[in-house]
Amino acid sequence: MKGIGRRVTIGFLSIVALLFASGVISLFELSNLSNDTETILAASRRNLELAKDMLKFAHEHSQATLHIALFDDHTQHDICRRSMSDLEGKLAAARSEAVDASRLDSLSMTVSHLREVSESYLFTPNRVQADTLVVAGDGVQGVAALSGKRWYDEQYKVVYDEMVDDIQNFMTHTHSSLAPRAEQLNKNAYRSVAPVLISLVVMIAIVLMFYYFIRIYCVNPIVKMNRALSDYLSYRLPFNVKADLRDEFKQLADNIDKLIGITKQNR
Amino acid sequence: MRVSVVLRYVGSVMICVSAFMVVSAVISYINNVDSGFYPLLLSALLTFTLGVFPMLFVPRATSISNKEGFSIVVGSWVLASVVGMFPYLIWGGEFTLINAWFESVSGFTATGSTILNNIEQLPQGLLFYRTSSNWIGGVGVVMFALVILPSLGTSRLSLSNVELSSLAKDNYRYRTQVIVRILLVVYVGLTVATTLALKAAGMRWFDALNHAMSACATAGFSTKNTSVAFYDNVAVELILVAAMLISSIHFGLIYATFLRKSNNIFKSEVVRTYLAIIGVSTLFIAVSLYGADIFPTIWESLRHSLFQVVSLITTTGFATADTNLWTPFAIVLLIFVSIVCACAGSTSGGMKVDRLLIFCKILWARIRRQQHPNAVIRIRVDGVAQDADVLNNVVIFIVTYIALILVATFTNALFGQDLMTAFSSAVACISNVGPGFGQVGSMGNFADIPAVLKLQDSILMLIGRLEIFGFIQLLFLKWWK
Repeated sequence: MKGIGRRVTIGFLSIVALLFASGVISLFELSNLSNDTETILAASRRNLELAKDMLKFAHEHSQATLHIALFDDHTQHDICRRSMSDLEGKLAAARSEAVDASRLDSLSMTVSHLREVSESYLFTPNRVQADTLVVAGDGVQGVAALSGKRWYDEQYKVVYDEMVDDIQNFMTHTHSSLAPRAEQLNKNAYRSVAPVLISLVVMIAIVLMFYYFIRIYCVNPIVKMNRALSDYLSYRLPFNVKADLRDEFKQLADNIDKLIGITKQNR
Repeated sequence: MRVSVVLRYVGSVMICVSAFMVVSAVISYINNVDSGFYPLLLSALLTFTLGVFPMLFVPRATSISNKEGFSIVVGSWVLASVVGMFPYLIWGGEFTLINAWFESVSGFTATGSTILNNIEQLPQGLLFYRTSSNWIGGVGVVMFALVILPSLGTSRLSLSNVELSSLAKDNYRYRTQVIVRILLVVYVGLTVATTLALKAAGMRWFDALNHAMSACATAGFSTKNTSVAFYDNVAVELILVAAMLISSIHFGLIYATFLRKSNNIFKSEVVRTYLAIIGVSTLFIAVSLYGADIFPTIWESLRHSLFQVVSLITTTGFATADTNLWTPFAIVLLIFVSIVCACAGSTSGGMKVDRLLIFCKILWARIRRQQHPNAVIRIRVDGVAQDADVLNNVVIFIVTYIALILVATFTNALFGQDLMTAFSSAVACISNVGPGFGQVGSMGNFADIPAVLKLQDSILMLIGRLEIFGFIQLLFLKWWK
């Protein structure tokens, strides 16, 4: 393929290639966007699940502890142990999956504190179910041992509330730690749209140039040759096309000139 | 004028720009396919397609008129700035549409102003592309001053023409070839030498190359937020001072000096005046800084004073200190050198010492004529008598230059800028210096300037780069007919 045909083909192919390339890059950025969105949503979902489970196990532990403390219900011991170990398991999972594990330090501390507090009371043999009044030698009454209810309210509940606060903080922090990733998401979204928009602008510029060049280098020579040929046929004016041509149009003009020359000779 | 021919040659510049984008993309690729890779690659493809299109259709012209040559250079500058936005725009970050345009114009006009708050967050490929826009702009400036302007008849910058005349005495075609060879030898040679010297002084290869390219283009883009102050290295500063100084002297004269021709740097009146301005300003500023206890020793004062004076007078804009903290006397002197700038025929922008020298001679001639009304006084530069036309052009240029600074200052103030920022940013942009004072000081940037002023400043950069009238005449339809 030569001359004008080659130019038009290359011009056409370049537009197609440009569209294809911008489409591919856009697709690449879109897949990045999709992956990041998925990652963020999965991380968010997982953290919420962990926090929910932690709250559930904490609640179970609290209920079981209350039963033991108030009613000395030995059947709750297993539940108490299991819920604590489940809570610690979830905490360990959260630590292993967290980007910044140090954020969970406070929660870890309160969980181990809760374990210490509950074990030190629940597994002591001499605990009492109700406050025992004793009368001292001077006749002053006092509490000989802490009752289960008071222990629960004054010691266990305080640590438990702290732990629940920490779990809630973990949930809030999870969302705030996702903010930079959401910003990245925004960037990815921008980068998947920008190439297409810019390619479109460039495409419009190329189409305008295409129009301009086709007009100058294809349409105008044909119009000139047509006019010159008409002038020759009508008035026998010499066929003379002045244009900056170096392609098939130049050959065509030369060939018409030759044809006119041959016609003259044959006459 | 044949617009298609202009488009063909502008297209070849686009292809050159796309080649630098590809090199930058390769750097991104080597750097673990950083976030600049795809923006640079796509931009290269877009720019290449835009550039190759006219070349496919328009046949090579056997001759180009002066007007067409001029339009090619101006068109190349404007369109290079437009396509130069693509990598920034696609990359995103701090680059909004207006910020990308500002950064691109600042790069290709070798100004060196930036809108980036955190330059170091850019991926390496994009950092290299940013500096290469400076380098391409630098070549363009010299080409414009040495090849295009001297060929434009009465509108030429005759000073360049005078200085070049002894370099090539044959016809214009031959002279153009010589000039292009001079350009290649001096510009590329200087960049390579500076890179090697900076590496030897302790910079990383990447930083050395970027700073060398920026210094030789007298542009000022750095790869560090705190510019050259980051290195705090006297050897690095001295190498950069030498590179900036050489790049700010007429390239033809540098070439002639290397070839030991009679028309060399040491005999040039313009260069002597230029060096005298640098020497005196450096000394005065150093004494002022030492006197105000800004630096503990006189040597320290001299070190920073020399670097800042050379950086601003050559229109580079690198910084080793926060000049906002300097004495008012030092600031005024630095603004003065930012207005005067370096020699014609170099990569620097601004008013040029050549014009200042002629202007002073015109003033002196006027005073002498008052005393001797019948005296015939000819104004000479390097022993060559200057035409009345040249003298008029110099005066008109200086008046227009000052008027534009005042108009821009007025507009800046109108949009709420303080006086120092308003005035110095106008000077920094029209002179293609880069940093100014106040909000846009040597350790600041143009990020917080309103968008409309960023647009105005970018137009000022183009006006300054194209020697004012070069840009203005493009706005008239008659020029394009």
